[in-house]
Amino acid sequence: MNWPIRIGSIVLAIVVCFGIQYLATTMLKSDGQRLVALAGLYVTLAVSLNMINGITGQFSIGHAAFYCVGAYIAGFVSLRFFQAQPLQPVLWLVVMMVLGAAAACVAGFVVGLPSLRLRGDYLAIVTLGFGEIIRIVIQNTKELGGAYALDKIPAIREIWLVWLLAIVTIAVSRNLLKTARGLAFLAVREDEVASSAMGVNVTQIKVTAFVLGSAFAGAAGALLAHYETSILPTTFSMDVSFIILTMVVLGGSGSITGSALAAVSLFYLPEYLRSQPPVSGASLAAAVIVIVAVVAVLRRIQHHYHGTVAKKVGLYIGSIVGGVVAKLILGALFGLIPAFAKASYTGDKLRMVIFAGTLIIVMLLRPQGIFAHHEFSWTLIRRLYDKVRGKGAQGAPA
Amino acid sequence: MSKPVVLDLKDATIRFGGLIAVNKVNFNIHEGDLFGLIGPNGAGKTTCFNLITGVYTPTEGDIFFKGNRINGLAPNKIAARGICRTFQNIRLFGSLSVLENVVVGGFLRHRTGLLSALAYLPPAIHETAALRVQAMELLEVLDLADVADVRSRDLPYGKQRRLEIARAMATGPELLLLDEPAAGMNPNEKEDLAETVRLIRDNFGKTILLIEHDMKFVMNLCEKIVVLDHGEEIAQGPPAEIRNNPKVIEAYLGEAV
Ligand SMILES: Nc1ncnc2c1ncn2[C@@H]1O[C@H](COP(=O)(O)OP(=O)(O)O)[C@@H](O)[C@H]1O
Ligand SMILES: [Mg+2]
Repeated sequence: MNWPIRIGSIVLAIVVCFGIQYLATTMLKSDGQRLVALAGLYVTLAVSLNMINGITGQFSIGHAAFYCVGAYIAGFVSLRFFQAQPLQPVLWLVVMMVLGAAAACVAGFVVGLPSLRLRGDYLAIVTLGFGEIIRIVIQNTKELGGAYALDKIPAIREIWLVWLLAIVTIAVSRNLLKTARGLAFLAVREDEVASSAMGVNVTQIKVTAFVLGSAFAGAAGALLAHYETSILPTTFSMDVSFIILTMVVLGGSGSITGSALAAVSLFYLPEYLRSQPPVSGASLAAAVIVIVAVVAVLRRIQHHYHGTVAKKVGLYIGSIVGGVVAKLILGALFGLIPAFAKASYTGDKLRMVIFAGTLIIVMLLRPQGIFAHHEFSWTLIRRLYDKVRGKGAQGAPA
Repeated sequence: MSKPVVLDLKDATIRFGGLIAVNKVNFNIHEGDLFGLIGPNGAGKTTCFNLITGVYTPTEGDIFFKGNRINGLAPNKIAARGICRTFQNIRLFGSLSVLENVVVGGFLRHRTGLLSALAYLPPAIHETAALRVQAMELLEVLDLADVADVRSRDLPYGKQRRLEIARAMATGPELLLLDEPAAGMNPNEKEDLAETVRLIRDNFGKTILLIEHDMKFVMNLCEKIVVLDHGEEIAQGPPAEIRNNPKVIEAYLGEAV
């Protein structure tokens, strides 16, 4: 192990986190800062779900439940004890993160052990059910705010800590994959029967991944509670679980950096849409028709064209440019129809449509996710570049 | 024949509903044996392997490994006792590299904890490096060193079969079960394989039980053979005896062998 590099990268990570905090607090208003913090939390959530779904190949769809457990435990304890305790707020926040993580660990173990012993997709159903149970329990517990918010949680807003947690989550995932022990997690994803024949305790691996992923979500929850100071059961609804899941699927199940990048992009997408002017019905209809057509064309090229990679990429770009032109023409034509021209939709309303649409398109064109199981790195970029450029010799029809 | 018994099946039986896939099968394998298990398709050979490796629990009868009863143990526990297998319908970890597949086979030799791996501490790093070196040595033995970094899914069929053997060897088994290791190989590859299997027995001291359809391969390689038909054991003995056994000829070999 190379200690100087190691320590250097830890210092760098902390510096980057403080840099993010510095930029956010000097350049953004409080709602902008909040978005930076939430984006970091979503990176943690997506990357931690990726440990369970991507790396270990399980299918948890209720990740928000563990986020919720962490948030409520930390919020509740802080509300009661923050005033009376002697620690610095930042240290207290770290203690609360550990507490949130521990609580989510326990919840993960209780939920995971019975369902992961069984084959099939029990985990999906159980995690979904668990989210609902947690919500109902909170709604019926006066001490946790009931159906109203648990509020007046002491505000401890440390954007750097949020991003440090995200980086730690990424680092831990990556470390796992670099060691022999981590390969067992991938092996379980690839083939459970073969893994157990090689002496791997499959249930133990699955539960470990699940508990670990839950712990990070719990720590994120603790940070959320102290950032927002007020949390509701609906803060952790099924929508949130669905969005986290979408991030992992889009990024490429198993790809750590893919999950992280998808988390940031998908998190900012709705905010971006909100800032956009409304689109007309004509434009929307044209866009939908053209997207469907372009996706169909891209799929045909993908599966039926066997030329060089460079030519294939050329065709892809050609069809997309063609699509953009077609959309403009079609939009103008539709604009002549009064009913189409008058209707208008705000970006906010289209949010879920765009989410679902993106998911469908990725599933059609690249079912393994944008990054598949690759990691984003300079080597990947170089490989892609080489593939496009130097493929001539290899890709020539045999 | 004073070598100790490694594997002992006593009336091993399994029913799937009305079907008795393996019916009161008895045989024992001594240390260092190169033992063949043959029979027509659907005779219950793979199911026998599944019984021995804990994929299924026998509905009746017992299986002993080095004198200890192992039926009812989970597959990973049986692997830890020292039995490992390959699969007829190749089950590699497809998206992992050839080397990584073999490293997973070394899982039983992990000593460092999860925390060390998560923090990427020296114990985990060294262990990983050591397991990779061992894996590389096994790849040399199975003549796969040149494709160590290839994704296992992309290997040609014959090499995938060899990789299955390398991966099983990595668990450090005393008893190695090979399910149709030569299936889909060409004659040259088969010859190489036979040599490798013999080498694994002679130089690595493994006991080997193998299922194979290619009679030439089995008869040349194995010193003792059990024949199954419809889940029942119909013959047992050295190749020369099996070849001339009328029951075996009728059920399996046909007139021409
Ligand atoms: N899990 C199972 N459930 C039901 N029937 C099975 C199962 N596994 C094997 N069988 C049946 O047992 C018989 C023996 O199969 P198998 O052991 O695979 O034969 P082979 O000798 O060709 O390896 C077949 O008839 C098969 O259909
Ligand atoms: Mg078989």
